[in-house]
Parts: sequence; C-alpha cells; structure tokens
Amino acid sequence: MSTEQFPSDGTGIAGHGSFFQPTNLRPEDAEKATEWVKKHVDRRAIDLGERMDDVRDHMWQLEKDGEIIVHRVSDAHHPIDVKTLFGWNKKIPTMQLWHHKSCGQCGNIPGYPTSLLWTMNKLGMVPGKDYLDETDQTSCTAWNYHGSGIGNLESLAAVFLRNFHQAYVSGKQHGHELGHFFPLVHCGTSYGNYKEVRKYLIESPQLRERVKKILAKIGRLVDGKLVIPEEIVHYSEWVHVMRNRIASELQTIDVSNLRVTVHTACHYYKMVHEDAIYDDGVLDGNRTAVGTSIAQALGAQVIDYSTWYDCCGFGFRHIISEREFTRSFTIDRKIKVAREEANADVMLGIDTGCITTMDKNQWIGKAHGQNYSVPIMADIQFAALACGADPFKIAQLQWHASPCEEVVEKMGVSWDQAKLNFEAYLKEVEAGRIEYLYAPELAISK
Amino acid sequence: MATYAEMKEVFEDIKSDLRYDHELNGCLNCGICTATCPSAHFYDYSPREIVQLLWTENVEQIYDVMQEKIWACAQCMTCAARCPFKNSPGGLVAIMREVAIKHGMQSARDVLRPFGRVMLKLITTGNQLSPDMIQPDHFPDWGPNIQKVKGNLKTLRKAIPVRTLQTTDTAWETSLKTSVEMYTIWEMTGVLKQLETMDENLYDVIQDFIEEKREEYEESLEAQDDKA
Repeated sequence: MSTEQFPSDGTGIAGHGSFFQPTNLRPEDAEKATEWVKKHVDRRAIDLGERMDDVRDHMWQLEKDGEIIVHRVSDAHHPIDVKTLFGWNKKIPTMQLWHHKSCGQCGNIPGYPTSLLWTMNKLGMVPGKDYLDETDQTSCTAWNYHGSGIGNLESLAAVFLRNFHQAYVSGKQHGHELGHFFPLVHCGTSYGNYKEVRKYLIESPQLRERVKKILAKIGRLVDGKLVIPEEIVHYSEWVHVMRNRIASELQTIDVSNLRVTVHTACHYYKMVHEDAIYDDGVLDGNRTAVGTSIAQALGAQVIDYSTWYDCCGFGFRHIISEREFTRSFTIDRKIKVAREEANADVMLGIDTGCITTMDKNQWIGKAHGQNYSVPIMADIQFAALACGADPFKIAQLQWHASPCEEVVEKMGVSWDQAKLNFEAYLKEVEAGRIEYLYAPELAISK
Repeated sequence: MATYAEMKEVFEDIKSDLRYDHELNGCLNCGICTATCPSAHFYDYSPREIVQLLWTENVEQIYDVMQEKIWACAQCMTCAARCPFKNSPGGLVAIMREVAIKHGMQSARDVLRPFGRVMLKLITTGNQLSPDMIQPDHFPDWGPNIQKVKGNLKTLRKAIPVRTLQTTDTAWETSLKTSVEMYTIWEMTGVLKQLETMDENLYDVIQDFIEEKREEYEESLEAQDDKA
C-alpha cells in the first residue's frame, strides 16, 4: 500500500526515516492494534506501586502497634468520598466539625470564617453539636516558620499534635464522646504544613519520641498516646463536597452573568500533592478541583487563564518586608492577567495569604501605570453572597481593599443600601445588641 | 569570614536534618524548578542552583548562598510540585534558614529585624497577626480603600457575628491555658533559644511576658480551686 503519507520508496512514514514502514494492516486490524491508544486512561487511577506511599497505611500499623490513636472519620461525621491526585480515596467529614481557624483570615479577612459558619447554619447544622468554634487553639505557626525560619520540625509537630488533640477531646465539655468533632482546617498553609508534619511523624520514631515528651508535659496525650487524624481536611474540601447542596438548597441569586477566575493556593496542592482533590468534572481532572467546583456548581462562568498555576506572590516574609516583590508579582502574574486576559468580574481564592496579597496590592500598581483591579474574595464568601448573605454583616467585605462592591452590584444587590444598613447596625453594636451565628458561650473552652 | 571547618559544620547541620533525604533525591539540572519559581523572576535566586550545590556538597558555595539568596525563596513549593526527581528546593531552603539562625548568621538577623512584631505576637499569644497590626497607616501602599466602612476598630470587630473573632490584639480569642501550653512547646523545642541567638532584646521582652502570663495562669487555677 503506497500513499502520499506512507511512501513505498523506503523513505519511511511521514518523513520519519526508513525504519518506519507501513504495517500494511487491514483497517480493522489497525483499529484493533491502536484501540488501547484511544482508550481513556485515568492517570490518577494508575497503580503507582513503589512510587508513593500512602501515609494512612502506616498510621493503621502504628495504631495496631499501640503507638498512636487515629482520630477516625466515622459515619457520624457523614463523610463523602472524593478522589485525590493518584485516585486514592479521601473521606471528607461533613458534620461534627472543629473549626481550626486561620490567623490571617480571622485577623484580616473575617468574612471568610463568618461566611463558612453562616453557610453551615443555613444547611441546618447545629452549633455545639454539628460544629464547634472555640478559644482553645493556636495558629499552626507555619506562616512564621516559612517566613522567618524561626521554629523547627519538632515545634511544628508539637503544635499540630496539641491542636488536633484538642479537637479530639473538645466534644467532652459539650456532652459528646471523644473524637466527636473532627478538625476542619481553614488555612491553606496550615493544611499543607500539617500534612507534611504528619508524614514525618509517621515515618520517624525519633521525632515521635521527642514530641511525646512535650505532649505529655502539657497533658495532651490520650492513654499515653499521640492522637493523629485519619484525614487532614481543608475547609474548601468541605465546600467542594457540599457544593451541590449549597447550590440546590441555598442559592437565591443567579450568578451566570459573572466571569469568575480562581486562584488555588499553592500550599493546598503543591505540598503533599498526593492528598489534594481532583475531579474529572472539574478542569478535566487536570487541576485540583477545590475552589473551581463551587463556582461551577453555582452556575458562574469559570474563565481559565494562562497563569493559573502561579503563586500569588505572598512569600510569607515578602508580604511584610519585601513588598516590592509581592505587589509586582501579584499584579503582573495574577491581577493583570485576570483583568486583561480573562476579563474577570471576580477572582476567587481558597486561602488567607493569597486573598490578602491579591486584594491589597492593586491600588499601588497605579504608581507604575498598572491600573488593573479585580474584586478578590474567598470561594465561600462568593457562595454565601450567592445564597443571599449580607455583604457586610456576613461576607464582611468592608475589610477588602479591592472593588468588591462591583461584583455585589452585578449580583443585583445594592452595595450602598447594604452599607447604610450596616452603619445602622454598628449603632446597635455600640449599644451592646450584637447578633451572633452561635451562642457566644459555646466558644469558651473549659 | 568563616573557616572551611565552620562552613563544613553548617553543611553537616543541614544534611543531618531528618527531612534532608526526602527533599533531595538527585538532580537532572533540567531547571523546571527555576522556570516556575516566582522569586527567580525578581531576584538573583535559582532553586536549581540550591539543589546543585547541595547535591555536589559544595560547602563554600552553600555557605555563600546562605548569606542572602535563600531568603529570596517565597516558599510556595511550586518547585517541589514540578521536580521530576521529587526534590523540594523550597523544603531545602527551609532547612538552610533554620541552620542560618542556629549559627547566628548576619543574613538571618537582617531578615528577621522587621519580623519583631509578628514574632512577639506569635510567641506570646499563639497567633501570628492581629487586626490592630493591619491598620491603614501601617500600609499606605494598600491604598485609601483598605477599609470600606470607617469606624472604631473595636466596634467593627464587635460587629463580626462570631465570638472568637471579636478581638483587636489577637486574630482570635485564645484561652490563657492555650498560650501557656504554647510557651512549653517553644521552650522544649528550642525555639526560644533560636530567638535568643537572633535578638536578645526581643527574647528578654518575651521571657518577661511569658513569666507574667504563667503567674496569671497559676493564679487563675488557684482561684478556681478556692471556688471549688
């Protein structure tokens, strides 16, 4: 058989050289021979053999050996299964959650946690039973560690175990069993750091021995053992598995007119990447699903952009002491691209540092003629707004520097009216009439 | 100028870290790490260089990059996600920074100077930043719109409908017991020692604060006992 593509003069197929000769197969045989090429291959379901260890397998063994207690995701946590990068299963608890807050969110973007709690309330979750937000917790301390180098693996591990021990025992004072509340980590860096630290704890008996002494001293062992969670869960993973319920049960505002870009935090999927959620229905399963999936579920137009994988420029120490780097990077690689390439109405993030960086570093661009601006907020703030949350009282957009009023107006909500209502509410606050998402006494750890 | 023996000691400290063998597995010199690195866009910094120097155990050059370059890394870990050898240049930099602090290097002192407030907040309260640290006058480059509703910070924080967030000097309300437990962690893991090496004045302030808080905690326990 000689065609233009398959010459029979010995020059080979399509100019590849004489080594490549036509097979002369009948069309049906050729089809059969190449069938496997066309077959859909799910990369994430490929057995990786020795390439990657699943840390959870080792945890079960350590528990069997009597070394640790695994804080399980039980049926009572109403888990939903998802697939991670390599097709492994991850259980995301949806009830009985212990809010592990983020210092950057609480200090700077409070609409982040408030929108999350508001959404949980709207879904019928009962504070003190279905979730707990309390005072007995510290920051993961990893922002400082990544920024300054002060701290070490041992201190990070001890902080991790202390906080997660508190999550394990926290139900007791509210009349529940040990392990009732499962930790839900709000911060992307805490999430990445805790997962990394957990791997080293499981691997190193020396590290376990050293931190055990510390945990014993502060009374944070259970039956003389360390408590380590079966899964480390980020709030955006909860949002991901709840996205269809949020959209179908709570959404009141049509957001199909909005062009949304997503920036997924580096520490969510670049640290211990085998544990990040991927979903065939989101970005073709090629990129992590969280953040994007809720925007899709709400019916917004998710717009891709060329610098999706880039960091925001936060840099930990850079946002404090190398701000030229932070603002230049975020303007060049995120804000400008979201504006010019994607023409985005809003950029959604899933982490503290990214939101702060992209939100606060737009105005300064004017100094160099970089006049770009895009509203920046968290996925859960956007979701809460789409479900009718107040832009000030709940989404707390008054703390954002980027033009969030534009996206609120595009949702059909009057920013000016909402602001007037909020200013009136501030008078109530001054008079001591404060509205709460849960009874304030629940927060006090005894 | 450090002697070769001192530089060798620095390298041995890096190498002896538990994480070292995980973060460094070889190097093709492919440069994917540097191509994706945000810091490489702006600084004389290359994660590939860091990996190469460690892989070839070039102790003098390693010491040299610890004078400045390692502090350029933004710790995003994009390099780690990309590396075909599963190296983590960012993770190696974290180890090198710790060692720079342990050896009291000037580069570490210079870098940590603007971190004093964050450090004080973190060590004493277990939070890393607080609303009163992010006021408009501290960040003029964030523009005039930094807060869209003007008003008293205390009132604005009280208007957050979550009890733990109604604070101004910590990101959230932390119980005294929690902070006291943190102090033990800092002490037993050598973090206070790191601070002392870096900034003696800050260390003294923190020590006084810790003592005061511990006394306060003891008193609160006694008061509880009396009540019982």
